[in-house]
Amino acid sequence: MTQRSRNLLLLAPAGAWFLVMLVIPLTVVLIFSFGERGAAGGYVPAFTLDQYANLPARWAAFKNTLILAPAGTLASLLIAYPLAYYLAVRADPRWKTVLLVLVIVPFWTSILIRSYAWIFLLGGRGIPALLAAIGIEDVRLINTPFAVLIGIVYGYLPLMVFPIFVNLDRLDKRLLEASSDLGASPWRTFLQVTLPMSLPGIATGCLLVFILLMGEFLIPAILGGGKVFFVGNALVDLFLQSRNWAFGSAVAATLVILMLVTVTAYMRLIRRLGAQREDVALM
Amino acid sequence: MNKAAYAPPPSKATLGPIAELRNVSKRFGDILAADGLDLSIMSGEFLSFLGPSGCGKTTALRILAGFEAPTTGEVLLDGEIVNDLDPFRRPVNMVFQHYALFPHLTVAQNIGYGLRQRRPRPPRDEIERKVKTALEIVRLEGFEDRRIWEMSGGQQQRVALARAIVNEPKLLLLDEPMAALDRKLRKEMQIELQNIQRRLGMTFILVTHDQEEALSMSDRICIMRDGRIVQTGTPRELYDQPRNRYVAGFVGTSNFFDGVVESVAADQAQVSVKGGIVLAGRAISPVAVGQEVSVSVRPEQIRLERANAADRPGWPVTILNRIFLGEHTEYLVKHESLGEFMVLTPRQAELSDGPFNAGERLMALWEAGGALVLKQD
Amino acid sequence: MTKDNDHISKRKFMEELYRYKRGSVTRRHFLGVTGLGTASAVLAAAVPALRPRRAWAQGDIGDRVVLATWPNYHDPANFEAFTEATGAAVDVNVFGSNEEMLAKLQAGGSGWDVFVPTNYTITTYVGEGLIDPLDAARMANYDASAFDPRFAGPGIVDNTLYAVSKNWGTTGYAINISKNDNVTPTSWKEFWDMTMDSFSGRTMVHDYQLTTIGNALKYFGYSFNSVDPAELADAEKLLLDAKPHLFAINSDYQPSMRSGDAWMTMCWTGDGKQMNRDMPEIVYVLGKEGGELWSDFYAIPKGAPHLDAAYALIDFLLTPEVNAKEALFHGYPVADSRVNALLPAEVLNDPILYPAAELLDALEFGAAATLTDPNRAELLARFKSA
Repeated sequence: MTQRSRNLLLLAPAGAWFLVMLVIPLTVVLIFSFGERGAAGGYVPAFTLDQYANLPARWAAFKNTLILAPAGTLASLLIAYPLAYYLAVRADPRWKTVLLVLVIVPFWTSILIRSYAWIFLLGGRGIPALLAAIGIEDVRLINTPFAVLIGIVYGYLPLMVFPIFVNLDRLDKRLLEASSDLGASPWRTFLQVTLPMSLPGIATGCLLVFILLMGEFLIPAILGGGKVFFVGNALVDLFLQSRNWAFGSAVAATLVILMLVTVTAYMRLIRRLGAQREDVALM
Repeated sequence: MNKAAYAPPPSKATLGPIAELRNVSKRFGDILAADGLDLSIMSGEFLSFLGPSGCGKTTALRILAGFEAPTTGEVLLDGEIVNDLDPFRRPVNMVFQHYALFPHLTVAQNIGYGLRQRRPRPPRDEIERKVKTALEIVRLEGFEDRRIWEMSGGQQQRVALARAIVNEPKLLLLDEPMAALDRKLRKEMQIELQNIQRRLGMTFILVTHDQEEALSMSDRICIMRDGRIVQTGTPRELYDQPRNRYVAGFVGTSNFFDGVVESVAADQAQVSVKGGIVLAGRAISPVAVGQEVSVSVRPEQIRLERANAADRPGWPVTILNRIFLGEHTEYLVKHESLGEFMVLTPRQAELSDGPFNAGERLMALWEAGGALVLKQD
Repeated sequence: MTKDNDHISKRKFMEELYRYKRGSVTRRHFLGVTGLGTASAVLAAAVPALRPRRAWAQGDIGDRVVLATWPNYHDPANFEAFTEATGAAVDVNVFGSNEEMLAKLQAGGSGWDVFVPTNYTITTYVGEGLIDPLDAARMANYDASAFDPRFAGPGIVDNTLYAVSKNWGTTGYAINISKNDNVTPTSWKEFWDMTMDSFSGRTMVHDYQLTTIGNALKYFGYSFNSVDPAELADAEKLLLDAKPHLFAINSDYQPSMRSGDAWMTMCWTGDGKQMNRDMPEIVYVLGKEGGELWSDFYAIPKGAPHLDAAYALIDFLLTPEVNAKEALFHGYPVADSRVNALLPAEVLNDPILYPAAELLDALEFGAAATLTDPNRAELLARFKSA
């Protein structure tokens, strides 16, 4: 067996998976997106751009997604970074593993059930009731974009914490001593050494969370009360309710293209930020 | 050439020590890493902490840098107690063992880092000028815009040095700076480091476990063991007048014959060693009759002769091994009572009487002044 | 987070809910919320060797039968009894909407033996050739004359029996009258006006175009089934005006009603009954302008893999004693007079289950054209994403 054929053999499972789970479905979606809806739903072969022309009908869903996905990513980052920093830099090494496990523990339960828990926390008998007890009356949290944001941050926090944690954990602590030795206060050391050194982790975490948020539908459906509508929710309705496969495919294809464009732009930005750095490894 | 830029800062230290440790101890849990350190460091001197790993030399350095606060005792810089002064507020800089250069910054940015932390922040052109000067001093002109990972180990070491000296610290601390360099590069750097120190007149404190490095570079050496300072002195003092067997063993090599003091007259002691043999030697510090001591004889103090001169006592030995070292030849010999010991004979001596061969039976002898009676510790 | 994990957890989730929260989950659309489509609740053991094998009068029908139905719509004890009697375990697939069921059958390879379509979908299934006619001779317990033709009628298409009646019900709204000075409203007009006024932020509507648009049409007195563009435009304007005042667009309304977060919601009979039973201040209202009357059926999809078992299961569930137990479990009325004869009087006299004739007469069955109308589907999408 030649080296080349061995390599091909090694790649075969991944290649087959890639073909069956990604290339073929995407091709089908692309073909469907130029078709038409059947009378009782489904797909009728055709070649028309009508479905793409109809995209503005889902503009609101795209707008919501394009606002809430970056907002959710940013919010996750702002909460995850201090946590990851504490775990990696400050936490007592004896407790580090325990604390890390605590970060993962929620992942043992389905996101569905965890999101349901938030219905009760954010509902009238939860946090608003506590606020009412201290005199802040009639706070409505559940079924708002804010509730969706909370659900997103809660659901995706570990995905943000881990890359940053790994990055900070690997950070040579002697660099922090060196910075201090050279006259930088702890805060300036953070800004000039820790933060720039953890950029790869931040970039990875943001990418992971952002990509998943672009396709999100569960959290807005549960915590947005059906009023906060992502592209993912539009797709679920198009395929399962109105059974408009052609238009659904056009929306899906547009989402994929949008994601590709955004992620490519993002990767280029990160590359430029860490231009000559050897240790910018994104994934 | 750059002397003007790095004239030693005006200091009260011309009148007294620039840094002092007064009965400094540091405890980590159950471990006493530093135990009652007393030391005065003079302005402009090159001082080394020498000892095996775990002896407390790095702890002493970190206490001076401010990374560790002493458990008891006082640390003084320029006459002021600085026990609780944060490292970033101390006029002290360190060259780290593995350099700890910032990988996300260029060479010039690394070197200018300390200057940029100053408040008020110096003007950009002043920083640039100082960085350039520092690069010249470490002979890295033109490397300003390189990335750290593009530099070799030796070059990184120079960058680390430049990053420290550019701040004109009152103390420059070097934590085993040459440990990661290969032997040849290490030799070159030792000489260069010494030159830079002389030229700048800066106070250097070096931590090393390499006695050769310490002996060749330092004005003074501080020998440490188990968290304590055993002896501080010039290399010659330590070599000629070691306080105890440990120092004699650490500075140069020596043959030790353990025994018990039989009699003392002035600084001369008679020591009974193995096989009922009594050796005479000069006691560096006072010893008492009955005390367990070691008689130390440096290998180069011992002569080998084929014929025994009747007026001098000699020890009949057999040559076990011979190593030719060029200027010297090193012999491992064995006396039936004293056991094995080393002899180093100069080439000069070989020309008249040697060379000697393995298995040959000879007389080994030394001058009375060549033997030192040392306390065990 | 992979879909696989979600699927498994969801199944567990459903099982837990069945076990502990009977009555707190809506009949439909529980899973519509998640949009993930099917979530199977396997009530019987999955390992064939462990299943009881018993002789059945009609001979061996195989070891399993697959049922696609709505959440909380069967008494698990009846399935156990069926398995005990026949040796066939019942695998239950739970669905959120008729559209989902249709989508699954259209996609093919569903593997179902029996499913539970609603009246207005049956002609579509027949037209698309997705279901087989039923052979009455194979269902000894089916007695056509015992069924109220009003509810059983849609099961017969072109004089051919395609589906037999399971349950029927109405779509009205539930309101917590303690939030309305204990005044019970009577119309859809009040429903929408209160939503935009005193109940702002407290009303829920279904995530379902048929009922949400239909009940908005009722505000103007239009037909529940209207597909007239001008009438739909009115309904759309009402929905968009009301949207900022809504608590949620969600067919899983019981938890929010029970917790007090929501005060009023569009509601199906059984949910109305369940909430009223536990919290008397929540009452069930049928709008006097009308609204939806619906009827569910048992049907067999074309190509059912266990046809014998499918007939055996339908026949078993049509047994009056078994069906009465079902009705007592889920709280939906039955169209079979033999079953009603077995039910206690307080059930038969319950105004929620069996509304007054004049209210019932104002209701309309949903039409197949309403369900498949693309304009109505788009209208709901615009409403949700607005």
